[in-house]
Amino acid sequence: MKRSKKVALMLMVPTTTMMLAGCGEDPAEAVVFSSPEECASLVTSTSADQCYADYRAAQALHPQVAPKYLNKAECENDFGSGQCEAAPQQHASGSFFMPMMMGYMAGQMFNRQGGAMPNPAQQEERTAAGTGGAAGAAANARNGVRTQPLYKSRDDRGTFRTATNTPVARQTGPVTVRPSQVQPRAGQFAQRGGFGAQAAARNSYGG
Amino acid sequence: MKRVDTVERPQWRDYAERVGFQFHTFDGEPYWDETAYYQFTLQQIEDDLETPTEELHGMAMDLVSDIVRDAEKLRQLAIPELFWNHIYNSWTNGEPHLYGRMDLVYDGKGPAKLLELNYDTPTSLFETGFFQWVWLEEKIQRGELPSGADQFNSLQDKLEEAFRSLPLPQPFYFSSVSDNIEDKGTVDYLMDIAQQAGMDARYIAIENIGEHDGQFVDLEGYPIPGIFKLYPWEFMVREDFGKTIRTSNTQWLEPSWKMLLSNKGILPLLWQKYPDHPNLLPAFFEDTTQALTKGWVRKPLFSREGANVELITEQGENISADGPYSDGRYIRQALCPLPTFRDNHRHTDSYTMIGSWVVGDSAAGIAIREDSTLITKDSSRFLPHIIVD
Repeated sequence: MKRSKKVALMLMVPTTTMMLAGCGEDPAEAVVFSSPEECASLVTSTSADQCYADYRAAQALHPQVAPKYLNKAECENDFGSGQCEAAPQQHASGSFFMPMMMGYMAGQMFNRQGGAMPNPAQQEERTAAGTGGAAGAAANARNGVRTQPLYKSRDDRGTFRTATNTPVARQTGPVTVRPSQVQPRAGQFAQRGGFGAQAAARNSYGG
Repeated sequence: MKRVDTVERPQWRDYAERVGFQFHTFDGEPYWDETAYYQFTLQQIEDDLETPTEELHGMAMDLVSDIVRDAEKLRQLAIPELFWNHIYNSWTNGEPHLYGRMDLVYDGKGPAKLLELNYDTPTSLFETGFFQWVWLEEKIQRGELPSGADQFNSLQDKLEEAFRSLPLPQPFYFSSVSDNIEDKGTVDYLMDIAQQAGMDARYIAIENIGEHDGQFVDLEGYPIPGIFKLYPWEFMVREDFGKTIRTSNTQWLEPSWKMLLSNKGILPLLWQKYPDHPNLLPAFFEDTTQALTKGWVRKPLFSREGANVELITEQGENISADGPYSDGRYIRQALCPLPTFRDNHRHTDSYTMIGSWVVGDSAAGIAIREDSTLITKDSSRFLPHIIVD
């Protein structure tokens, strides 16, 4: 046979199940830890390896998402004396400063790689049945919580907060959050629109 | 190889729209056309199309090794010098490539002739891999085609296998120009297959890609580790973010060395390296002091969908297609006219071209396009095909 054994579409077929609006957002489970050692000592359902992997993921995000200040004094004004460090980003007269990471929030198991990996076992995959049949699709569930660093402000040392200042917990352990409210953002430095100009000028590109 | 009239499936347009094939009709003219199909023998497919496709692909890949080390050839292809290193590194590091399509002249006998390689941003993928496949399955179910009818079309299987096996970082992004529904349809199809292969696939419009600190970032500001872009390399290297390509760690599909093969200058370079190869047409870089003569075609180095192609037939008829690519250099290629087949539905003759897909390094199926002129364009109709012995 010179052709594919099957052809299937999972995502291209819109169904009502994909109409997930923000107001209908489901709360999601996450876990707050102050350190990977604490995670490894408390958690029975995940491995110590996972604890360290989550910690490293949060650490990697930290310099991208942490709030940035032009100097150390301004940073310490919000986060407390000795609680700030130099950020890798530079401005014209030196480094930006950012608060130190005080803990991290681990997302759900199926969602550990950064936010959008659906569990293949939960995906309903149907072979396209053509004009006579129903072509199906599975909802692309992207409602997970991204593993991320947490911070503590100067005037509220008891509360873990996200980089965008959303309080998530007063102690370590499981928490229930709205994923959209804890979605970390790092875009404040990015330039956009550097690709696409020639397409706009020529109006012809594919081939 | 013959063209056979057949009846259209009732409600195929509704079905097309349900599965995301919004561009089945363009400006009121049919794009997907199932009033007829092409029929091949297995020998025609295997000996005249599949085998030469893989041979031509291998020849083109061998040529990449030559070009990345040769400043004169890089200049002939108008590759900006700032990107020579990036291309050399992407080739010598073995950065994987996903797919390409070569366009062939073939009439059922004799060697197919290579018209050009679409190795950077080929489209008509969904029509080939999915819609054409479903068409055959349904025609067999309806008893309108013999149950043993086959099709040269392993495109979706091979793409899924490629997404499973290629070393691609996660999450992996897919990008196209935001307001082009044909390109978005192609990217949606690739993302769908990538997700079926277990990848974390995400969409970002090409205009929304961000740059920060020498890295490309997504809409939330996170670095883009890998991205498929349905956007020409020759545009990217000349736009504002071109400089960031050289500093970023982003892995590209297609990789930057593919810009050597999507360039029409590859045709004269192939002819230099493999003169008189049965599947090649004579081709040369243009000497602008020489007027175009009978039996020759003129093509811009950078052009897509037949745009800005001009030719003079043996009878002296001058045929050309308008387009936006008139600002660069050109090559000349000997004219090998597309064969004509009678279209009884429209009472005209159609010029027929065969697009032959390559996934990784394997031939993966064909797409047939028909036009009322010798120059196949983006508006040319797409017809399905079968194999019957």
